[in-house]
Amino acid sequence: MLWLWILIGVLVVLAIVAVLGYNRLVRLRNECDTGWANIDVQLQRRGDLIPNLVEAVKGYAAHERGVFDEVTRARAAVQQAGGPASAAQANDILTAALGRLFAVAEAYPELKASENFLRLQEDLTDTEDKISAARRYYNATVMRYNTAVQSFPWLLFAGPFGFRAREFFSAEGDTGVPQVSFSTAT
Amino acid sequence: MTLQEQIRSNRFRSVIVVFGFVVLLAVIAGLIGLVLDLSIGIFALVFAAVYGIFALLRSRSMVARLTHAQEVSESELRPLRRLLENVSIGAGLPVTPELRLVHDDAPNAFAAGLRPEKSFVGVTTGLLKTMPKRELEAVIAHEVSHIRHRDTYLMTMATVFAGVIALIADVGFRSLAYGGRSRGKGGIIVLVVAIVGFVLAPYAALLLRMSLSRRREYLADAGAAEILNDPEAMALALQRLQQDSTAIKYADAAVAHLWVESPTDRVETERPGVSALTSMFNTHPPLADRIAAMEEAGGFRLAEQLPADVPFAAEMGLV
Repeated sequence: MLWLWILIGVLVVLAIVAVLGYNRLVRLRNECDTGWANIDVQLQRRGDLIPNLVEAVKGYAAHERGVFDEVTRARAAVQQAGGPASAAQANDILTAALGRLFAVAEAYPELKASENFLRLQEDLTDTEDKISAARRYYNATVMRYNTAVQSFPWLLFAGPFGFRAREFFSAEGDTGVPQVSFSTAT
Repeated sequence: MTLQEQIRSNRFRSVIVVFGFVVLLAVIAGLIGLVLDLSIGIFALVFAAVYGIFALLRSRSMVARLTHAQEVSESELRPLRRLLENVSIGAGLPVTPELRLVHDDAPNAFAAGLRPEKSFVGVTTGLLKTMPKRELEAVIAHEVSHIRHRDTYLMTMATVFAGVIALIADVGFRSLAYGGRSRGKGGIIVLVVAIVGFVLAPYAALLLRMSLSRRREYLADAGAAEILNDPEAMALALQRLQQDSTAIKYADAAVAHLWVESPTDRVETERPGVSALTSMFNTHPPLADRIAAMEEAGGFRLAEQLPADVPFAAEMGLV
């Protein structure tokens, strides 16, 4: 009789631990989703700015066709990217293409002085800053989630319940996740 | 301690604070009832509850008034607003807090608000004129950390309750002093206990409030370093604050705990008569300790000499 009670007690404790663990994984996964949504919003915003920028530059430098095509292609690649890692890679290519576009713009003083161009340039720089901020947050949440999913004992039932490790938003392994640890001194 | 644990611990502490203040309030009301009159005690309790609820609802504008923080229109200070937006995104806040400006030459900043969606971050003009972009970003990240950790929520509650206790104790003390004890019940012992209680109650509340605030500063520093992935920026910002000696003009003790650096230390101690206890009543740990914590976390040492970077205000042509 005693053994039965002990068995029941152990099962109850295990059930509680499992429920808490499951909820924790769900919470961490939701944080990743929010983090990714933040990046997506900024990628979208950047994508929306680019056609205007291309138009603005075309007005002064219509013959620089190669750069325009490159930027347009890179923009489409970001929008079609399948996952965080490929989106990050496409985004890096877009950043490089935009760099060349701005280099071209350097040669046209009237363009550089135009109010419209200056505002677009400022907005793009701001969006890039926001993408990198959102990236830091997203990668930190992915780091936490992946650690939880891959560590014992959660890895035992993370798989069956569909908790899979997430991709970082980074092209080449550099996650931008802080490598410092903090002791909470009092 | 992870972020979620920190938030939960803050929620738990909030409950403790509320409970502690309710007990303290009940004791004071009980003393008033015992020494003066039962109906006065009940009246004090009801009055305190109404006042407390009203103060919580009005806390946002109250803090804005006490800190002299002014709203900034959408078109003004865009570079600064963008900095705040970026930091908020990096912190994963659902919305960017409102930006407020305090016209004061002392470099300082604060955060306030009961909920992240309704919070605001205030910076002084002095901060913009002193700090280069990198350090300004760290200070803003420190404030955003306070919002993210729900420190502002906890501290606003504590502030309001401490204010209520002080008010009620004051009322009790005054009615005792001026009203005499015409309807006095109980002996001299009750009277002495009551007087001691009335005198000490505000300090007990204050002490609780202060002790809550200090550990938070370390956590917010750590949070800022994590948001920006740059502990050195936070340490540099703290060192710059340390080397600056401008005192804030409107140093109001009621909102001292909200600022990134204690605004009152250099002006005077919180209240007369507590000089011996000042370190216990300090809202902030010493800046040197906070810098040391950052140095340890990041594994670097700051030089005595600060880098001579261009302050943000000058860089952006805001002056």
